[in-house]
This record gives sequence, structure tokens and C-alpha cells, in this order.
Amino acid sequence: MNTRFSWFNVTSIVLGFAFLYIPILLLVIYSFNDSKLVTVWGGWSTKWYEGLLKNDALIDAAGVTVRVALVSATIATILGTLAAIVLIRLGRFRGRTLFSGLVFAPLVMPEVITGLSLLLLFVALGFDRGFWTVTIAHATFSMCFAAVVVQSRLLDFDKSVEEAAMDLGAPPLRTFMEVTLPIIAPAVISAWLLAFTLSLDDLVIASFTTGPGATTLPIKIYSQVRLGVTPEINAISTVMIAFVTVGVLLASYMTKRSSMLREREKRAVDAGAA
Amino acid sequence: MRRWYVIGAPYLWLLLFFLVPFFIVFKISLSEIATAIPPYTPTVDLAEGWAGFKSFFSQLDFENYAFIFSDPLYVGAYWSSVKIAAVATFFTLLVAYPVAYGMARAPKDWQATLMMLVILPFWTSFLIRVYAWMGILKKEGLLNMFLMNMGVISEPLTILNTTTAVYIGIVYSYLPFMILPLYSSLEKIKPSLLEAAEDLGSPPWKAFWQVTFPLSLPGVFAGCLLVFIPAVGEFVIPDLLGGSDTLMIGKTLWSEFFNNRDWPVSSAVAVVLLLVLVIPIVLFQRMQQRQQEAAS
Amino acid sequence: MAANAPVAEAGAAKPASAAHKPAGRTPAPQSNFAPWKDPAKQPIVRFENVTKRFGDFIAIKNCSLDIYEREFFALLGPSGCGKSTLLRMLAGFEKPTEGRIIVGGKDITDLAPYERTDVNMMFQSYALFPHMSVEKNIGFGLRQDGMAKADIDVRVAEAMALLELEKFAARKPHQLSGGQQQRVALARAIAKKPRIMLLDEPLGALDKRLRQQAQFELMRIQETTGTTFIIVTHDQEEAMTVASRIAVMNHGELVHIATPGDIYEFPQSRYVAQFIGDVNVFEGKVTSIADGSVEIDWPAGGSSFTAAAVGGLSTGQQVWLAMRPEKVRISLSKPTAPCNTIPGKVIDVGYLGSISHYHVRVASGQTVTALRANSAQTVEQNIKWDDDVWLEWPYDAGMVLDK
Repeated sequence: MNTRFSWFNVTSIVLGFAFLYIPILLLVIYSFNDSKLVTVWGGWSTKWYEGLLKNDALIDAAGVTVRVALVSATIATILGTLAAIVLIRLGRFRGRTLFSGLVFAPLVMPEVITGLSLLLLFVALGFDRGFWTVTIAHATFSMCFAAVVVQSRLLDFDKSVEEAAMDLGAPPLRTFMEVTLPIIAPAVISAWLLAFTLSLDDLVIASFTTGPGATTLPIKIYSQVRLGVTPEINAISTVMIAFVTVGVLLASYMTKRSSMLREREKRAVDAGAA
Repeated sequence: MRRWYVIGAPYLWLLLFFLVPFFIVFKISLSEIATAIPPYTPTVDLAEGWAGFKSFFSQLDFENYAFIFSDPLYVGAYWSSVKIAAVATFFTLLVAYPVAYGMARAPKDWQATLMMLVILPFWTSFLIRVYAWMGILKKEGLLNMFLMNMGVISEPLTILNTTTAVYIGIVYSYLPFMILPLYSSLEKIKPSLLEAAEDLGSPPWKAFWQVTFPLSLPGVFAGCLLVFIPAVGEFVIPDLLGGSDTLMIGKTLWSEFFNNRDWPVSSAVAVVLLLVLVIPIVLFQRMQQRQQEAAS
Repeated sequence: MAANAPVAEAGAAKPASAAHKPAGRTPAPQSNFAPWKDPAKQPIVRFENVTKRFGDFIAIKNCSLDIYEREFFALLGPSGCGKSTLLRMLAGFEKPTEGRIIVGGKDITDLAPYERTDVNMMFQSYALFPHMSVEKNIGFGLRQDGMAKADIDVRVAEAMALLELEKFAARKPHQLSGGQQQRVALARAIAKKPRIMLLDEPLGALDKRLRQQAQFELMRIQETTGTTFIIVTHDQEEAMTVASRIAVMNHGELVHIATPGDIYEFPQSRYVAQFIGDVNVFEGKVTSIADGSVEIDWPAGGSSFTAAAVGGLSTGQQVWLAMRPEKVRISLSKPTAPCNTIPGKVIDVGYLGSISHYHVRVASGQTVTALRANSAQTVEQNIKWDDDVWLEWPYDAGMVLDK
């Protein structure tokens, strides 16, 4: 239908995606620029990447960032999955409204508030600021994103599948491990990847909660970006973009596959019912 | 009961690391700055017992709030944050709607790929995406170079370090948050509804306003909240793209904390910011809950 | 399990609706299988004053119900009447607010679903595990019991043979048609050899032809395994076809529990009469009660009827005379019968091939439906639209209902 408007649809999609992707593309292209001046093209070169390899401070920061992301994403995924199950499967309980508020509010909470409040908590508790405070902070806000991802999968899977497992003699924990988890696994994995990249990217919350020896890559980049646009930063950025892109493509391939299976499942049922 | 273990773990975590911190922020916003570690006073001296608590509470006051409200810099920052966020949200909607509409009307086989393409930039670093615009918008940047080569302008435009750049930054960074809810509400509209409208004598552009747009309103609403709320407290965009005259409260809070090291005042700034956002956040909350109930 | 009883007995438990039966199966006298009439018999399932509330909503209102070993018991009612809730309480997914549920003499009210080994359920949506093959799905329940692998294989093979699923053993659920999925769901529950099988709208997702086929398959499996089946359905034909007894439910209450034949021929209320099959209802008052028959005045039609008497009637009482359409005779000339003849005008004729429906407007203004088999091979109908006709029925063809 609406073939009359397809030119309009195509134009708006093309323009929209051009707007989304051109800045990133330019950044990637200029990371291979031989010239020091960002706007003058001086031919292809990979010298800025070679420079990165010699920059120990940067490599240290990258190491810290990846470690924080690995640990915080894992905590966030476990807690987020539990939170999603609580919201979708456990029905009403005392304090449910507050709980769902706590799960959804961090999604829109300005980062400066989250960052400041967590820092003040850590100070009040007398925690030494560093690796673990950043990790806890990241786990806290990314668990809410993880919860949303897992929740949407739980919402569209038939509860009676779990009931069937229990009816056939599987206690709740076994039901979860043998039936629920395998079914929601793609969502859990993409929740983990999302939490991982959120942690990888975060500047504001990390700036508040970090301490000596736990400088993350975004903090490092930010301190240099404030001084202006440089090809080195373009090169780091490109590396990070490549890293994330591969991860996302992988994740989307997995969810796409599982949703295709589900689609076929549905079609088979429909065909049977028709 | 076993179910309380399942509820308990995420619940306690969020209480401790999300809710309790707000009370601490509130408490410290009532304190005074001090050259100490931590840099505020009073602190509770537990060794003094009840008397310690009493003297602690007697020293709390609303001085920081009075200070914020009497200083036009803060009041102005709140006001201009809300204004900039609102205008930017509107522009985001304008850009996102045609894209979401085009996606919802695209061939079904394409839709999953298009979705992924919208989400992909959201997964790449926010900081890097904002940084990318610095190279484009600055005076000797790629946009000016392009426009001058095309002969559109003779003098380079000053865009970086202005409020315009902040608008561009917000629209760009938050675009996926607007497209996704719009797409999901537009995609649910059955083409037969539009066919029915046309069959009943409504021309396409009228059918859009009479059928499509009203039915997409939940998506519009959700997208606007998802953009507006975080944009009000945005720090990176005004800091990197905005100028010295671009007042935004996230930036004010940041410099109050990191440059002036005034923890009590930055706490008070955060509390007031939260109050400004409380209505949209509650609306967002309600929406999420309703969605959940409708689905379960 | 009463495995020693002859299998045919269970088959004979479904009398009356002979029209739905395959040729060659003659309805046997009901007394062959009627454990509910035997006071010495212990029920296998007993609901004792069970009430279920969801907040303010009362889903089940003080239900008491006995179901016996090897019965094929149907819970029948419109959607939202509480029939699924009753079944889910037996499976353990809902807990009664009040009352007890007893299975095999044991109170299971407080047991979790996975602790109820006597009961297994087949779900309306089939609830097959999408990540497991057919074989793994069927073996799931046995693995939960910690059965040895070799024994599981035997039992799974048995269940697959019973439902002719051998060819699909390695397939995943999404590679099966709706009918095949339905059989896997049944095989999975039956593999555990429960004493009681629960079926929640098991055939609801199938199209009509497949459904009829599946109904007979359900009956065959129930007979060969000797399991007690409890089925929830909103389809009265399905209940009539498969069940030994039917419980009709409305608004969370059991309104009538009886064999399909009794429910159809002797409903206890207008609700049941109208829910099961078509019926014409005349409202009137009892004018006299003689031995074996009652006289009913029908003021709206300015006439009176004679009907077979039922107990508990008194003169002057308000009653309803319910008539099945197939028991109403329609003719162009006035019948010679002494009673129950009323004139009318044909307003609609529905030709269905084997039978025709006649909608006749009578003196009271209401429309009465009469059914006639088209026994002669002719497309020419001798009774047509707008014809003046006479309706007539014998005195023992109607049912006198007092509610």
C-alpha cells in the first residue's frame, strides 16, 4: 500500500540515516588522515593508530574500562534479569510500585544526578573510590537497561510454558534453568552486551565515582577533547566504534535468529489453526 | 519463602545504590561547605550519641536553597535548560517522525535491519558522537568548508560554541530514543485503517492527521519524555558544543562540584533539578507501568 | 489404576448423542458405567466447598464436585465462567481461597504443581518447550522424576507410538503443524502416566474438521490408557461427543452435572437448556396437575399446552416449557392431535441440505423454530416463506422448567 508515498518514505529514511551516520563516518575517515590539521586532507595514514599503541596511559585506561565493563555488565545482567522476572512473573507484592519505579527511573535520570548521588553515598559509607565504586555505579544504572531488555522478551513468551514444566514435575529453580533461561537466553545476552557498552561509554557517572588509579577511557578522552579536535582522538574513537559495532552486529544476529525462529513457530501455529 | 530471594537481590541493590543516595544528597544539600574531608559540615558524630544527632540536625538549614534561588545565574540555568531541552525535543520529533514513518511503511523484510541501524549509533559512545560534531561545526570545520566550496557562504559561520550547536547535538544524540517509540506505535497501525479512511473519502494527507497521527500519539509522548528528561540535565553536549553563554544546569552542577568543590551547593542544585523533573519522570513511570499491565 | 476393567466399558460411558458417533458404535445402557450412581464408590477427585476470589472478583463460588476413576469429565461453560480456574486449581496453579481439593483420598490443596504427581495437564496453547525436540519435550516430565535413561526412552517411544509421532521425534515444535503440536502436547502429559489428565481447551486452536478427528483420538487414548480425563471446553458439541458426564458452569457456579443425554433431554434450568443446543421456550402457568401430566396456560399465545409432569410443581406456579426444534412437527394442514397445536406463519426457511430450519411466527409474536429432515430427494420445498402452518408436538416432548 501507499506506493504513492514511497518516494517520501525513502527520502526521509535516507536523510535520517545520513544524519545519523555521516558524522561518525567523517570521524572514522579523518582518523586515517596524514595531516595533523583535522580539516585538511593530507593523504591516508595509520600513524595515529601506531601512536595509540605507544600511549601507555591510554592503554591503561582502556584496560580499566574493559575490566569495569566486564564486571559491571555481569552484575547488571544478573540483577536486571531478576528484576525483569520480579516485574513480569511474580505478580503483586508489597512494595511493587516502588520497585518498578526504582527500575525505570534510572533510564531517564540525568547522569549528573545519578553520579553525584552515588559519589555522596560512597563517601558516606567510607568506600575508597576507584575500580569498585565505578563498577557498582555502572552496574546500578545499566541493570535497569538490562531489565527492560529481558522484560520485553519475558512479556511475549507464553507463561504456560513455565507452568507446563512445573506441571511435569520441575520445581521453580529447575523450571527456570531448563526452560525459562534457554528461551530468554538471546535477550539475556543482548542485555549483557548493552550493559557492557553502556559502561564502556559512560563519562559523567564514572567522573563522579572514580578515584586514583581508575581513570577510564572516556574520562581520558574527555580531558583531551576539551583541548580540541585531534587525529589521535579520532583514532581511539574509531577503535571504540569498531569494537562496539562488531558486538552489536553479533548480538543482533543472535536476536534476529531467535526472533525468526519464533516467527516461524507462530506461522506454523497459525497455519495449523487456519 | 524463595520468591523473596528473587525479589530481594535487585530490590536491595536499587534501594542502597539508587534510593538511599537521594536522601544523602538531600541531607548534604542542607549542610555547609567546609575545608575538610569530606568537604561539608556537619557530619554525624556517632561517638556523642543522641547529643551528636541533635547538634547535627540543629546545624542543618535551607541556606543553600536560598542561595540558589536568589542568584539569577542558577535560576537562569534551570529556565534555559528546560527551554533548550523543550525546543530540542520538538526538533527531534520533527526529524524523527518522517524517519519512523518511512521505517514503519518499509517492506517487512527491511524493517529489522532498519531498526538495527537506528539502534547502532545509540550503542556507540555518546562522548564520541558529540565529539564528531566538534570537527564538523567548528569555524574551520567540515561543514563550513563544504558550504564555502559549494559557494553557499563566503564567510565561515560560527556554529560551534553556540546554543545552535547544542540543539544539533541533542537532536543528533537523542534521535534513536525518539525514533524507536514512534516506530513501534506507527508500525502497529494497520494499513487497512488508512484504506478505510480513504475509502470513506478522506484524502491521504487528511487521513494522516485524522488516523495515523492520533494513533501514534503514545509513541510521540513516550519519545518526547525519553528525550526531554535526560536533555534537561545534559552535561556533555553543552560542555563540548555550547558556548560560555549557553547556560545549562548539568554543566552548572558539574562545575560547582568539580571546580568549586562546593558539595552542599551542588547537592542543592541536584535536588532542585530533580524537583523540576519530577512531573515528567512520574509521567514516564506511569506509562511504563501501564504498558506492562496491558501486556501481562 | 483400575486397569483390569474391560476397556469397552469406558467407551460405553458416552451414550445418547449417537448421531456424533462413528458407525457401528451402539449406545449401551448407561448403567454399565455410572460410578457416580454407586454410593460405595470413592471419587478420585473431590472439590469440597471450593471458593476462589481474585481480589473482589469471585471466580468460583462454593463448588463441590466428585469425579470418578476412568471418567471423561467435561467442564462446560461460556468464557469467564470459571471452568479454567477450576482446572488450574486442580493442577496447582491457583490456590483455592476456601475449601479443599482431594485427589485419591489425599488432600492436595496446599501442594505445588510439581508435587502433584497424580495430575498432568495439557495446555490450550500447548506450551511446548520451543528449544527442545519432540522427543525431549515428551521426555521432560520423566527426566524430572529422575527415571533411568533407558526407561525414559521406552516410555517416550510408547507415547510417540500412541499418538503416531515417531516420524517427528527429532523436530522442534516450530517445525510442526498445529495438529501435530497438539498431539505432542498430549503425548508429553500422557507419558507421565498420570491418574488424572487435565485438558484445557485442548482442541481450541484447531479448525473444525481437525477438531472432530482429534476428539475421537482423545476418546481412543482415554479408553486405551484408562486414565481419568477432565476437559475444559466452551464447545457444547465437543463436550457432548467426548464426555461421560458434563458439568455446566455459569458465573463460577456448577449449574448442572449429568450425562450428555440427561443434560440435553432433561436440563434443570432454562440456562442449561439454552446453552446446550437450540430450544424454544414458552412462558406460562400451571393450571392443573393430573397423573403424569400437567396443563400449562400460555397467556401470550392465548392457548394452553399439555406436558409430562415433573416433581415439585404446584398449581398457579410460573413455569417455562422448553421444546427442542427437532421435536416440533410442522405441517400445512391442521393436525388431528388433541393437544399442543399452534398456528403460525413461516418467516424464514434455512436449508442446510440434510435438514431444514423453519422459523415460524406464532400468536404471541415470538419465533418458534422447527426442524425437519429432508428425507425426500427434492429441492422443491413444500413449505415456503409466508405459508400459514401448524406446529405440533406430543405431550412428552417438552420439558417443564421452574427456573
